[in-house]
Amino acid sequence: MAESRMGFLIDTSRCIGCRSCQVACKQWNKLEADKTANKGTYENPGDLTPNLYNRIRFIEKDDGGGVKWFFLSERCVHCGDAGCMKVCPSPGALYRTNEGFVAFNKEKCIACKYCVSACPFNVPRYGADEKVSKCHLCSDRIGVGMAPACAKACPTQTLQYGPRGGLIAKSKASKKAVYGEADLSGLGVLYVLDDKPETYGLPANPAIPTSIFLWKDVVKPLGILGFWGSVAAVLFHYVTIGPKKLEGERSENGGVRHD
Amino acid sequence: MTRYVERFNTGERVLHWFVTMTFFTQILSGIGLFSRLFVGYFDLFGGGQGAILVHKYAGVLFLASSLLLFLNHRKEISVLDDDDRFWLSRLGGYLSRGHFEENNGKFNAGQKLFGMFMGASTVFLGITGLIIWWPLAFPRGIVQISLLIHGLIFVLFFMLVILHVYLATIGNPGTLDGMIWGRVTRLWAKKHHPKWYKERAGQEKTT
Repeated sequence: MAESRMGFLIDTSRCIGCRSCQVACKQWNKLEADKTANKGTYENPGDLTPNLYNRIRFIEKDDGGGVKWFFLSERCVHCGDAGCMKVCPSPGALYRTNEGFVAFNKEKCIACKYCVSACPFNVPRYGADEKVSKCHLCSDRIGVGMAPACAKACPTQTLQYGPRGGLIAKSKASKKAVYGEADLSGLGVLYVLDDKPETYGLPANPAIPTSIFLWKDVVKPLGILGFWGSVAAVLFHYVTIGPKKLEGERSENGGVRHD
Repeated sequence: MTRYVERFNTGERVLHWFVTMTFFTQILSGIGLFSRLFVGYFDLFGGGQGAILVHKYAGVLFLASSLLLFLNHRKEISVLDDDDRFWLSRLGGYLSRGHFEENNGKFNAGQKLFGMFMGASTVFLGITGLIIWWPLAFPRGIVQISLLIHGLIFVLFFMLVILHVYLATIGNPGTLDGMIWGRVTRLWAKKHHPKWYKERAGQEKTT
């Protein structure tokens, strides 16, 4: 991808779990509120929904007597090699913006839901409209030079938008490990984590699901080859060995050869 | 004695061509879902959503009719005898121009294997198809594997259909008559399915 690729860095060590990003996202994208239930944690809502493009995941870890809190801004991470785009059969339903992020166009979505199965991070959601929805990194803001709504609202600079290379260099300069630098041809959304990725519910080595890879990168090309191969094979048979004609027409000596 | 013997009755022929029609409807409506290379085929159904709708309901018709076709013939195709094994060992004589003496019943070993494969494939396409129909109702892993299996079986199915069409038309002159008109010539029956022909001839004598 081009060097001009933009990026979005989530420095979890700065996050205070205020959820301003959730609210700002809802406001900018005009998303309805979801009814939720109290499940004995501050985390709310408990999962991404068609009306919730990003949320703070609250992780509580026993810290030897106390509880340590981890906050993770969960959302589409805009993979460089995106499973959703790989499987989407409708051109333009999921597309890459000039900045390098994965946005969607509901009018072109055909509701096959393949992207749900192909996402390494289980992000795309379908609502009552049967259309894909997920974080598009405010493609309608960044295109005109504004920061994404969530980043604009973040009071602690946990969420930072800027040139991807610059964000990575800055984190490395302050000796912070970056999650997603190279995975899936580089994630558009990078994380700085305080603990192992698994603690946050992130895959240590994110990859396109194996069966999706086999389907799109093995079965598909071999299938097309197999189709034309079969057509070629029967035609080749027809003009070389030829049909099984009746009355022994196939062999020159009247069909008495036994082998 | 007429020149012909009946091979497939009217009901069998209608069912076969019904399966054929639903199968090709499935190909045309599903090919765009298989790969973006074939996105143009969506236009036949007014777009991708139309194609998916047709694929689902024509899929039910294909599942039901193809399964019925398999069940109707399951007894004739499920057992391979010594003649069938001989046929298989020579690949039906298709790889040589020399005369091949075959002693097949109503179906030769290749047709039997084809029928069994079609039956099993129909079941697997049906099960995986229903899972893909409601992908949010099943665990992600199950849906992912279903997408793979559905695509894989489609490919194998289509390749065998190409072979089936070839062998039943220009590859074996006289064969198509059995599925269109219902009758084949005695000459054809004696050459391709002698054991079956003898049974038929025996029945004709007693009636």
